[in-house]
Formats: sequence, C-alpha cells, structure tokens
Amino acid sequence: MPARRERNRLVAGVAGGIADQLGIPDLYVRAAFLVLALVWGLGILLYLVLWALTLDKTARQDPAPEADGERRAAYVLMFIGSLLLLRSLGIWSGDGWVWPGLALSFGIAFLMDRGDIDPRSAILGLFDPQSGRFRARTVIGIVLALAGVSILANVAAPAVGTVLLAVLITGVGMVVLFGPWVWKLGADLGAERRKRIRQEERADMAAHLHDSVLQTLALIQRTDDSRRMVTLARVQERELRRWLYDTSPADGPELLSAALQEEADRVEHTFDVRVQLVTVGDRPVDDDVRAIIAATGESLNNAARHSGTDRISVYSEVGTDATDVWISDHGVGFDPTAVAGDRHGITASIIGRMEGKGGTATISSAPGEGTEVHLYLGGEPR
Amino acid sequence: MIRVFLVDDHRLFLSGVRTELSDPRDIELIGSAGDVDDAIDALRLDPPDVALVDVHMPGGGGLAILENVLQTHPQVKFLALSVSDAAEDVIAMIRAGARGYVTKSIRPEALVDAIRRVHAGDAVFSPMLAGFVLDTFAATIPVPEDPELDQLTTREQEVLRLIARGFSYKQVAHRLYISHKTVESHVSAVLRKLQLSNRYELANWASRRRIV
Repeated sequence: MPARRERNRLVAGVAGGIADQLGIPDLYVRAAFLVLALVWGLGILLYLVLWALTLDKTARQDPAPEADGERRAAYVLMFIGSLLLLRSLGIWSGDGWVWPGLALSFGIAFLMDRGDIDPRSAILGLFDPQSGRFRARTVIGIVLALAGVSILANVAAPAVGTVLLAVLITGVGMVVLFGPWVWKLGADLGAERRKRIRQEERADMAAHLHDSVLQTLALIQRTDDSRRMVTLARVQERELRRWLYDTSPADGPELLSAALQEEADRVEHTFDVRVQLVTVGDRPVDDDVRAIIAATGESLNNAARHSGTDRISVYSEVGTDATDVWISDHGVGFDPTAVAGDRHGITASIIGRMEGKGGTATISSAPGEGTEVHLYLGGEPR
Repeated sequence: MIRVFLVDDHRLFLSGVRTELSDPRDIELIGSAGDVDDAIDALRLDPPDVALVDVHMPGGGGLAILENVLQTHPQVKFLALSVSDAAEDVIAMIRAGARGYVTKSIRPEALVDAIRRVHAGDAVFSPMLAGFVLDTFAATIPVPEDPELDQLTTREQEVLRLIARGFSYKQVAHRLYISHKTVESHVSAVLRKLQLSNRYELANWASRRRIV
C-alpha cells in the first residue's frame, strides 16, 4: 500500500503517495482523481478509502525511479481502460462530463508539468522559444484544453444553458492561453531591467579594475625591485579595499583642481614623469567631475606609459557653460585609428566615461606628433 | 653676447643652471648670488642684461631685489624663476616689473630660449602664468576703469590658452596660423596689461587662490 505524503501535499497526500509509488508527476495522479470524481464522485470516494487505509502512518517509502515513456503509456492505457470498464458497468455520469473533464484536467496537468511541482516556473517556461520540448508541450496542452472547453461547451451548454457559461468558458480559455504570456511579459521587463543594471555595474567595475588593478599588475611585472613590488601591491590593495567596501566617496577632494592635482601627483610618483598642471576656474566635485577626473587619470596613465616623454601637460578650464580638460604630451604619438578594440583604456575609461555623462573625449595624435586628449563637458557646473 | 646674472639660494640649483648656461655661445654668466643683499649690491655694481631671480629667498625674496634694482637700473630685464606651486608670488614679481616667469623644471634649452627672448624685449610666459592670467582676466567681471587694459582680446586668450596647455611659442604660431613674431607681440601685450592694470582682482589673487 502506498504511503501518504507528509510534505508537499494538497489535501492529505494520497495522490502524492501514489505518484511517488508509480514514479510519475503528482499532477497526473491528481488529474486522474479529478476525472474519477466526475463519475458520480467515485474519485472522492476512492481518495477517502485510500486515506483510511493509510491512516496508520507507514514508514515513508523512497519514491520510485521516474517512469519512462513505456510505463507512462501503460499507466495511461490502464486508466482509460478502467474508465471504459466503469462505463460498460454502468457506473457512469455521462459522456458529456467525463471525457471533457479528462481532456481538461490532463491538459492543464500537461501545461503545468515541467518535472517540478512549482506551477509558476512551469507557466513561465511555456513560451521559452529555446526549448522545442516545451513548445511541443505547450501546443499539446493548448489543444487538449481547447478540446475540453469546446466539448464541454457543446455538450453541457444546452443543459446548463445560457450566456453565463459561454462567458465563463471564454474567460477561462483566455486566461489559459494569454495569462502566462502576460505574466511572462511582466517578468521579462523586470528581468531585463535587472540585467541592464547588472551590465552597467559590470562596465563600471571593469573600468575601475582596468584603471587600478591592471595598471598596477603591469607595473609589477616590469619591476625588478622586490621592495617596490611589495609597495605597489600594498597601495593597490588598500585602494581596492576602499573601493570595494566603502561606498561613500566622501573622503575625496572637494574641488576639481584639487582632484586633478591628486591625479597629477599620483602619476608623477607612479611613473617618474613630470606633470605640469594648470587650472583655470574651478568647480565642486560631483558625478560629472568624477568622470572627468577618472578620464584624466587614465589619459595621464597612457601618456606616461606610451608617449616616451617624461613631461605631460594638463590644462583645465571651467567656464560658465562648459568644462574642458586637455592632456597633452609631445611624445611619440600613435595612430588613433590603428588602436585595437580590446584596448580598454581609450574606449571605456576615457571615451565611454565622458559620453556616459553627455560629454566628449577627442584624441588627436599622429606618429611622431605627440598626443592630445581633449575632454569636454557642456552645461553649467552644478 | 647676453650678460646674465643668477640669483638663487639653492647651491645645487645654482651650479646646475651655471652648467646649462656655459654651452650657448651667445650667453655669458657674469656672476651669481645666494641671498638678497648680495644680489642687490652685485646687480647695482655691474648691471647685467638679464637677471634670473628665484622668487622664494630669505630676506624679502626676489621681489625685494626687483624693487630695489629697477629703481636705479630700469634697463635690467628680470626673469623670475620659481617652483611651480608659487604662482601667487610670481604675480607680484610680474607686477613689480619682471619680464617673464618660468618654472624651475624648465628644460635647459627652453631656459636659454627664454633668456634670449627676455633680452630681445619679449615676454616669457610659462603655462602656469598663462593659466593664471586667463583665470584673472577671463573669469571675472571687467572693471570699467580702464577697459582697454582690463580685457584680453580673443586672440590673446587663444594664445594664452595654448601656452597653458604646454605648447611652445613656435607650436602656438603653427596652430593659430600666425607668425612667431605675432605670438610674441600678443604675449608682450598681455604682460603689459598685467603690469599696468589696476584690477582689484590682481592684487587679491593670491589670497583668493588659497581660499578657493
């Protein structure tokens, strides 16, 4: 005798126990009880008898291994056979009740079944275009449900009659067909928004790691002095920790000129170059200014590492309607069109940052002509 | 031959510049001094063509030297030398009559060039000084007292902006499609305005700069 389920049950766990025993999803067993219940309540009676038989709690059995296709087909044949037997025995409430009920309940069970019991994820998976299996399931489910609805409407409607039933059936049909789609649409929008936020965070993170950690690692690889390596690693560790665990940027400088001076000092110390900084006008540090500062820092890094010269000029001018920063060197220069796309420094750290704030970054350079980066941000300083 | 006198209280810097100036044939270093009083005496005794003067020195600094020597020997051309963060003192030097201002990190050949230019009567602007002038003249409301002096022309602003961005006079000329001579005349005009302008802002620039 099958054990009753103690967890994950709807009424008393009888159907679940049988499902475990047979190795098929609960939904189909429940559907079968439902269909039998249409035969003068036979399903309910059967349920109660089984419940009574298992009243004394049998030790919980391990679920049987999941039935394969052949066994499932056998169960289906047995069930239909039993129904036909009941019909010929005269224990029958009428073709107009049982067959539509069969189609409906199994159709819905089919729709909801994804091998797990959570109906929500089952419905969400309905219109998953990547899985042919689920698409087939959807089509079969809809056909079964529609067949049930139409037979019910044809056979039962004259008896119960009236418009009310037609409206009800149409409503149910609509919910079955479009409910999951509407639901999924809402879920999709939410998922897409989350995905976009995650992508932005990722880009932010990538830009930061490129500016700090990757630069330091590159430096460490080029250093023979082990003490300097340790120092670099420590400085980087401190910086990274602060960035990861301290979300408040409050301890930075408060003015653009001070922040640029900090960047200039950093580059001078890190790369052993001279940075000539000239600032005209000033403005408080806000999100826009932080983008300018970061882009300036990255431009300085590039100039210090690639230009071959030990002098870099930074000139910033804050006007009434725009903020400009020029970073220039008279070094070897390069061909801006020949820079590979995977060079994160220029595309993400400089241009991407400025464009993200509605500004521009213009890089003019030619081999032997030096390099100049012009950062521009329109609009009044806030 | 340009006769040059050098004033700086840092011996190391003094000897460095002395070496740098020994190469060019048209420059002759006639002497040097390590403090303000010595410098004033030496400059009065044998006035050079160009005097390179450090801004920060005990005993009054470069300013005291300029004020004393220019009273009696206005023909001496002064070129102020400073570390880059001392711009607020440099403006006093310019107002007192210095013909130019360069930072101590200047390359030897650029220093020699600056000496030649000051000797020829032109002004020498470092990027720092150009930035300062732009800051003072462009960002504030003009004082109506003497509008000619209190405003920079668009061209002068363009020239200063390029100098502030680290370009040499030659590169500035190339970029603006004007001659080297025209660049120099623009810069000289700016220097004149700087020295003659009675803008309130100029006098208070230093304190403002520290507070902002």
